[in-house]
Amino acid sequence: MVNLTIDGKQVAVEKDATIYDAAKACGIKIPILCHDKKLHPFGGCRMCLVEVEQMKGRLIPACTTPVTEGMIVQTTTDEIVKARKLVLELLLLKHPIDCPVCDAAGDCDLQNLTYEYKVNMNRFVDEKFNHEIDYENPLIERDMNRCIHCGKCARICDEIVSYGAYTFINRGIEAKMGTEFDGPLNCEFCGSCVSVCPVGALNSRPFKFKARWWALQKTKSVCSYCGTGCQLTLGSKDGKVLTTIYDENQGFHNGQLCTRGRFGYQFVNSDKRLTAPMIRKNGNLQEATWEEALAEVTSRLSAGKSDPASVAALATPRLTNEELYLFGKLFRGTVGTDNIDHSAGYAHEALTKGAVASFGVAASPAEIADVQKSNLLLVVKSDAYETHPVIGFEINLGVKRKGIALRIVSDKKGKLTRLPGAKTTVHAPGNEVALFNALCKSVIDQGLAAEGVAGLDALKAAVADATAEKAGVTAEEIAAIAKEFASAEKALIILPIGQGYPGHNAALANAAANLAILTGQYGKEGAGLLIMGEKNNSQGAVDMGIYPKGTGLNAAAIIDGCANGNIKTLFVAGENPVVSYPNRKKVEKALENVEFMVVSDLFLTETAAMADVVLPACSFAEKSGTFTSLGRRVQNVRKAIPAVGLAKSDFDILNALSQALGGARYNNQGEVFTEIAANVPAYKGLTQAGLKDEGAVYPVALSAKLVPAAAQASAPVAGKLTLVTGSALYHCGTMSRFGEGPMYVCPDAYAELNVADAAALKVAEGDQVTVTSGTGAVQVVAKVGKRVPQGVVFSPYHFGEGSVNTITDGSEVTYVTVAKK
Amino acid sequence: MSNAPAEEIAAEEIDLTEANEIIDKYLTLPGNLMPVLQGIQDAYGFVPKPTIDLVAERLNVYPSQIYGVLTFYAQFHLKPRGKFIIRVCVGTACHVQGAERITETFFGRLGIGHAETTEDLRYTFEKVACLGACGMAPLAMVNDDTYGKMTVQKVDEIIETYNARPMK
Repeated sequence: MVNLTIDGKQVAVEKDATIYDAAKACGIKIPILCHDKKLHPFGGCRMCLVEVEQMKGRLIPACTTPVTEGMIVQTTTDEIVKARKLVLELLLLKHPIDCPVCDAAGDCDLQNLTYEYKVNMNRFVDEKFNHEIDYENPLIERDMNRCIHCGKCARICDEIVSYGAYTFINRGIEAKMGTEFDGPLNCEFCGSCVSVCPVGALNSRPFKFKARWWALQKTKSVCSYCGTGCQLTLGSKDGKVLTTIYDENQGFHNGQLCTRGRFGYQFVNSDKRLTAPMIRKNGNLQEATWEEALAEVTSRLSAGKSDPASVAALATPRLTNEELYLFGKLFRGTVGTDNIDHSAGYAHEALTKGAVASFGVAASPAEIADVQKSNLLLVVKSDAYETHPVIGFEINLGVKRKGIALRIVSDKKGKLTRLPGAKTTVHAPGNEVALFNALCKSVIDQGLAAEGVAGLDALKAAVADATAEKAGVTAEEIAAIAKEFASAEKALIILPIGQGYPGHNAALANAAANLAILTGQYGKEGAGLLIMGEKNNSQGAVDMGIYPKGTGLNAAAIIDGCANGNIKTLFVAGENPVVSYPNRKKVEKALENVEFMVVSDLFLTETAAMADVVLPACSFAEKSGTFTSLGRRVQNVRKAIPAVGLAKSDFDILNALSQALGGARYNNQGEVFTEIAANVPAYKGLTQAGLKDEGAVYPVALSAKLVPAAAQASAPVAGKLTLVTGSALYHCGTMSRFGEGPMYVCPDAYAELNVADAAALKVAEGDQVTVTSGTGAVQVVAKVGKRVPQGVVFSPYHFGEGSVNTITDGSEVTYVTVAKK
Repeated sequence: MSNAPAEEIAAEEIDLTEANEIIDKYLTLPGNLMPVLQGIQDAYGFVPKPTIDLVAERLNVYPSQIYGVLTFYAQFHLKPRGKFIIRVCVGTACHVQGAERITETFFGRLGIGHAETTEDLRYTFEKVACLGACGMAPLAMVNDDTYGKMTVQKVDEIIETYNARPMK
């Protein structure tokens, strides 16, 4: 610790702190324009000048000067104030005074400091800049006339996002923040630059002219897209969510959000939202009252009580823990069926079965904080960035700032493969299990297995014939990764899972866990396996037991049950099986066949359109409760706006049904949480109030064991391409299709081809192509690039039009032909 | 940095063979961006856009950063330059001796302005602050040839001389 005095106050701080950090720690505010706590110090704006007694004669920038023992600092002398005023005058020399029409007004550091330092006139005069304003993308407006050259946008885009869209271009008086060839902004539109811009140079276009900053009601909540569990602050006005607000002190991610979190909130106020219940009459869905709709559902479910095996229920892992708990209690307890599931039946087996078998808990043995505490990250599929972008930022930071080694095994290349020192091993699609088995065998062969691992002999036998060739990679690559992984001090495996990733199932989780267990890389900080659930509350759905137990049917079997007539009543809360479950035709036929289907959802999705009763549900912004992130962090979701139209939260819907069917009745969702804390062991001792803003990570007690996993052999089919499905960066599930932001950037399904394949097929970027498999064909737009290896075609699964589940059947690998339309 | 081998990057628009060779030469050298860009400029006479994309991909540097470097240093050029670079000094001594009239005459004769290149890529014209030979003011240079005590008449002579030179 270093001791120093700031404005007469004694302070003790870490030795790598700056004067600015030290002042902040003791509550002294030093004005700042170019500084952000997430970024490397820059020292460009000169607003933070202070006096240091030991360095008399000049003013010192507080944000770049490290503290030294015995330093005596003054932060506001007459001279300092004069210097800061000069800085402001110089900035205002070029900066346009267009505050009345600037969206940053009220949230502008330059404006606030001008006011604070009473700069009401300027001794200097000069012409203002006349740069053209960049309106060429729908999300970020760049008005470089307002730019004060703090460089935050360029720094965050480089240091954290690793995209590098911005740079200082030209020099001297002509210098400005620019892009490659000074063209329009063309990036992944995460909006990080907008969030840190201290003035109005970078603005969110969807928010433009929607509200003044000070008129917004700010509500802290949790993002409802992926499982990362990023916290966000919703800015709302007149019952509408108008923007998300950056708060550098929020969450493990310090306010960083991805493109979905930042620009995807519009689904909340979409004019496509369902606003009233609907009942199918004469073949058509017609508006009805809640009483009618609930009465209809109650009578069906109540009839089902006598034959519970004929009732099934599917829930989306986007509901709150309280809603999921109530869902389980209603169907398992009151109705008496065990046919309940969320997408687990297709996608989250890695969590529900794999993690339990390998680690004895249905959760990741590691948490998000472990990413930056590790020495080596082994990422399965580089899509970890695309499925969970903010964890991608954590990986970026770890690799760039801490020098963490990054190894990727993937069926295609992604952004992570370009990080410094990253090594990517591209394997044949669907061979992940074979690859991990080969890694385990290599660990054993090289004598790198940890001592006294139980079940080693069984694993040895199981992986005896696992070879690198079977995984489609070279023996050298396998040997190198195995050695590096085993000999790293702390190594962490990162495994994304989701609906769009066939084969990311229990076997893969076991195979990956085997590597961690075999090498002793688990049960300690920075090591283990991070299983990244796809949806915001995938972990909560597992914790609340929303998957079949005993003889109950899982999601796949429920669809089969609908098809063969065994399931007569189906309750769907927020799931969209028609687009997201494999084999669309089969799902549609099955749902047509079911006698009675009720869907509660925000939108009239492809599935809701087939229902007999549709119940309008509330979005996350209209309700309170808790979500549990993939890192087992339980966090508070807070109501920001009243329900849209006549929508009710799934909690209210389930509570009403529960009561009508003679089940439990709760006064509010908080009562359910109390019950969860009493009944779910991991949540023991938690209270909603006690979660506060940061939430709580519940502990896990591991009982690791090696579980041999069988690799599925799939032989390539001559003349066909291998289809890889998954997530597109801008989307999450099928809900992001109702967010304007994601749809501006990525509106349609596409098929990504390697340049060589595209050339052979005479397909160019933007061409319409038909992708055909054994189960069907879809027409999508072609994208051509070098990310996918030759012989592989990638397609995201989110879209209703050109939905990729038309051509997949849930097996590890789908072989397709691609032809120009 | 995961520097990519040459064969992964296909040539577009222009022949990138030479650029690839230059990158190969410096690939493993730390701080290789400047010598690579200088090499490319020497080879192509300017830094063509496809070479920026190539350098970005092979050296794993953001294209925006390369553009930042290229626009920071006066030595780099992003547009094709003429075979003959005419530079007229407009420093103090030359200014006093009528440099303005010399530049205006060049503008008129060549039909281009400052930092511009003729369509046939024969000439690029630049006003420069000082060429360091004030005793010969007003001064012009064409590539490495120096012309002191410039007059309007000499402008015509210079243009005739270089018009007669072959382009290859």
